Amino acid sequence: MIVTLGTVLVAIALMLVVFQPNTQSADSGTWGQLVVAFITGITTGGLSCLAVQGGLLASSLAHQIEQDYVGQAASKKQKISVRTNSAFPIFLFLVAKLVAYTLLGALLGWLGSYLTLSPMTRAMLLIAIGFFMIGNALRMFNVHPIFRYFSVEPPKFITRYIRRTAKGTDTATPLFLGALTVFIPCGVTQAMMATALGTGSIAMGAALMFAFVLGTSPVFFIIAYLTTELGSRLEKFFMRFVAVVLLILGFLTLDGGLNLLGSPLSFQNMTRSWFPSQSESTAAAESSQLSASAREGELTLNVENGGYFPTTLKAPADKSFTLNLVTDQTYSCARDFVIPALDYYELLPDTGTVQVNIPAQAKGSTLFFTCSMGMYTGQIVFE
Amino acid sequence: MIKKTFKIPDMTCSNCAMKLESLEDDLDGVKEISASYHRLEMVIEYDESKLTDEQIIMAVKKKGYQAIPV
Repeated sequence: MIVTLGTVLVAIALMLVVFQPNTQSADSGTWGQLVVAFITGITTGGLSCLAVQGGLLASSLAHQIEQDYVGQAASKKQKISVRTNSAFPIFLFLVAKLVAYTLLGALLGWLGSYLTLSPMTRAMLLIAIGFFMIGNALRMFNVHPIFRYFSVEPPKFITRYIRRTAKGTDTATPLFLGALTVFIPCGVTQAMMATALGTGSIAMGAALMFAFVLGTSPVFFIIAYLTTELGSRLEKFFMRFVAVVLLILGFLTLDGGLNLLGSPLSFQNMTRSWFPSQSESTAAAESSQLSASAREGELTLNVENGGYFPTTLKAPADKSFTLNLVTDQTYSCARDFVIPALDYYELLPDTGTVQVNIPAQAKGSTLFFTCSMGMYTGQIVFE
Repeated sequence: MIKKTFKIPDMTCSNCAMKLESLEDDLDGVKEISASYHRLEMVIEYDESKLTDEQIIMAVKKKGYQAIPV
């Protein structure tokens, strides 16, 4: 039952990953997240977990089974290629791991769906995930002993059980061990699990973990196959690189959360205020020119696949007005429109116009708006 | 049976603790090992007639870590 469910989820996740959606027909934000997860897996994820599952389980497993096969070959006096034989159990191990983590991703996404009832909850979750990632990165940099507590220690009875199981040499062992790796995730995997929780979707959580673990698989396979000490050496070399990537991902996630809260302290909102770009200045000027229509009580915001245009709208202060949100074949997360300060959230149609009544605001105030992922942002400045 | 604590300053993640705990299976005379990445230490309960501190330190070294008796 569980295996079937896992296989179905892997199939769905595979479809999401393999069939690259074009921006005309699907959510480019979703695809982008999966690509980031895959790249994180193939670069930092695989390397950071080498000392854990790759080093301990896969290599010992490969070694064990290799020995087993050597024994068989010797007793039967047959010429069996040990290398070919040892590859199969490692493959089984990785497939089981992929299925297990996809199931875990689905479970986390499902749990996350209960936590993301409102943009505010999602924002708090993103901020917590961001802090978790940054804390783990600082732990890897060995900044302060306190950051060690960002690493979750699996219960002793689980680690002992896994260790004892690893001594088995039957063909079910690699499958079982692969599945058990969900209980000993490395720091980057834990961060990715937190992200899966933040998706608030079973399919997306499963696809995210699938893409990530798929990315880690080649590194695992190579290291487990070679069964050398390369893992621990690489770990030392790449730990700082992993930490840097995790730090960047952490800040991006934290920034998304701040955007979703409508905080002026988010990186995007701060830089927009401090260093308005040429295009934004032009857009602001254009929107100023439109202030005639604003004075008449209407402003228009184009919701496109790449974000909101103009990113800065100027509106008259102390006067309510109607904001027209115009979509035209918009499929990205920009459709999930949020004005945090007004507690306004609406999933816009892919093509059409939705009107929002903006109440009167004081002169000099700013209303920030964002997509539900905190990726695309903009503001309304009241003058 | 005695219980001793060793500081392991070069643990880098919680899974290093798991590696050290695997010494339970490798060393004769060990009853239980409890290692913690959070505290960077390893508590080992063993039969002192079968095992010495030096042997424990050497076994830990083989795993790639330094053990300092507390």
